[in-house]
Amino acid sequence: MYFAGVDIGSTMTKVVLMDRAGNLLSFIKGPTGAEHRRLANEVMREALEKASLQIDDISYIVATGYGRLNVPFADCQITELSCHARGVSSLFPNARTAIDIGGQDAKSMKIDNGRLVNFVMNDKCAAGTGRFLEVTATTLAIKLGEMGAISLKATKKIQISNLCTIFAQQEVVALLSRGEKLENILAGLHDALTSRVAALARRLGIEPDLVLTGGVAKNIGMVEAMKQNLGCEIFVPEEPLLTGALGAAILAKETYVKAAAAGEALPTKSRRLEKATFFSQEYR
Amino acid sequence: MSGKNKGLSKAREIYLNRSQRARELKAAGKKIIGYPCVYVPLEMLTALDLVPYQTCGDMKEPVTEADRALPHAFCPIMRNCLHCALKGKNDFLEGMVTIHSCDPQEKTARVWESYTKYPYFHFIDMPITVRPEAVEYFKGQLDDFRKTLEVFTGKKLSKDRLEVATKSHNRQRALVTELYELTKSSPPLISGTEIVQVVKALTSLPVAEGNDLLIETISEVKKRTAGPEKKSARLLIWSSTLDDTDIMQVFEAKANVVMNESCGGVRAYRGEVKLTADPLEGLADYYLNEITCARTFRQATLGETRKDYARDLQSRFGYLRGAIRDWRINGVIMLLVRYCDPFAFEMPSLKDYLNSIGIPSIYIEYDYTVGALAPMRTRVEAFIETISQQ
Repeated sequence: MYFAGVDIGSTMTKVVLMDRAGNLLSFIKGPTGAEHRRLANEVMREALEKASLQIDDISYIVATGYGRLNVPFADCQITELSCHARGVSSLFPNARTAIDIGGQDAKSMKIDNGRLVNFVMNDKCAAGTGRFLEVTATTLAIKLGEMGAISLKATKKIQISNLCTIFAQQEVVALLSRGEKLENILAGLHDALTSRVAALARRLGIEPDLVLTGGVAKNIGMVEAMKQNLGCEIFVPEEPLLTGALGAAILAKETYVKAAAAGEALPTKSRRLEKATFFSQEYR
Repeated sequence: MSGKNKGLSKAREIYLNRSQRARELKAAGKKIIGYPCVYVPLEMLTALDLVPYQTCGDMKEPVTEADRALPHAFCPIMRNCLHCALKGKNDFLEGMVTIHSCDPQEKTARVWESYTKYPYFHFIDMPITVRPEAVEYFKGQLDDFRKTLEVFTGKKLSKDRLEVATKSHNRQRALVTELYELTKSSPPLISGTEIVQVVKALTSLPVAEGNDLLIETISEVKKRTAGPEKKSARLLIWSSTLDDTDIMQVFEAKANVVMNESCGGVRAYRGEVKLTADPLEGLADYYLNEITCARTFRQATLGETRKDYARDLQSRFGYLRGAIRDWRINGVIMLLVRYCDPFAFEMPSLKDYLNSIGIPSIYIEYDYTVGALAPMRTRVEAFIETISQQ
């Protein structure tokens, strides 16, 4: 008996396969791109191959993330907020707050008893998201993965006054032309992004333990800036991108086991990894 | 109107082609008068055989025309309404009545007047408090409105005419209230999406035709066997305007919306206008006191806002408590349109009130475009997940 969580984020697609005991069998990450549906199939196929399983072996599949409606073989959709909360609390049982910073949004979640109880998300705007760092890395012609390490070399923190992604870019260019050092600018950017997300999280209240997830948690400069800003210990999972897919797999397992115990048959979707039809038909 | 459709299917047809009936009536010699906000006393238009028509925006429209006249950081609904008007979508109007219900309405009034060339235009100054002096002042404003209407139509707005019209509009209020009774059951007999279609149809029809539509719809819905499915939560939406089925479907994908506390729902249809010796007195009292929009400043006791916060909240939001109990609502969505200051400032107090009565709520902001719906869907569904597991 096996379970799958598929998390189609705005930037990355993630799959986690799990057995009945909750052991992780395989996980896959890949860029989402424009073709959600085709990619969902491919990433799933890859994850199955890695775990030496067939699609028919999977008892229940939960899809999550912005593209959750585009997974034709998923049996049910649950939002990434509930999935992240579940995934985080399985890795950190004492977690009460989770902050996830993804490609397109930032969210803070309150967790109680392993479940999502409340949340806040950023407005429709790139400020305070991973996109902000991506755009900046492109402007500065450095690799996204290098930003954190470079920023730790900073000797001072440049104040970035504008939180709008576009205006912040202009500010960065102006700072460079003024001769400011790259590491100092990056430290300033991380600080600006962090204060935006921290303000969001404070709206909900921050209760320890605090876990940081999402692609941005891979940036050591961001983690350090977040620690300073919030003044508390921050836990980061080994694979911070995977908590949504992990939570989805756990919720798939729990939903299935609960229904089985009650003697209910859960409706499941066709297990063929095929090209999807238009999503409004299968989304209920 | 084709005349073939009835009840719900007719409401859907009108919703999708709102100006069709107004254009037909214009061709038959009727005068159609636009109004942007539910605070305009429609009774006075109906009494003089004018057809009130609410001017709306369209979330699918990229707003371009309004840039000629309005700033960007401004009520997106007013921008959208004006855009649609400037594109000629309301070219059948004979006139426009605007009102100072909120600042964007007031600022846009001048713009409507300058940029559109309707033969009739009137602006009603509406006070912001419910003090007795304010009601008296508002009555005076309605009297000015009466005068310009009489000049425009060449008819006298007699007490008798106004009473007949008021009774028809009161009948409409009672019928909408009856329609909302049909969402009390679980699952509701009618969906929030269907009610949006009905209510939005009402605002494009003469009152008598709207009442017929309501009667047909109520009788159809009472008899129907296949209504909305039961979903995992029963929601109340509190908003300025929620008059679009695309947004409503975002809420109704995973929940039943059983109360739409906005101008696209129940707000303009609660209670009734009293038939007073001076009919304008009943109208002034109803529109200022009975319509519960955040634009009005209310306090439990005059001059004592800060004395007893709990009592103040109860006096401002108590009307929601009955609905929450009787409609067995287990979650409230506070839907804010960006830059809508009156609702944004009311929201924290409402949140406190809902917390005090133990009802979970969420605040969602959007910019009145269809592009806002995908992120909105995630927030709404996550909220439903948190309340339905309890």
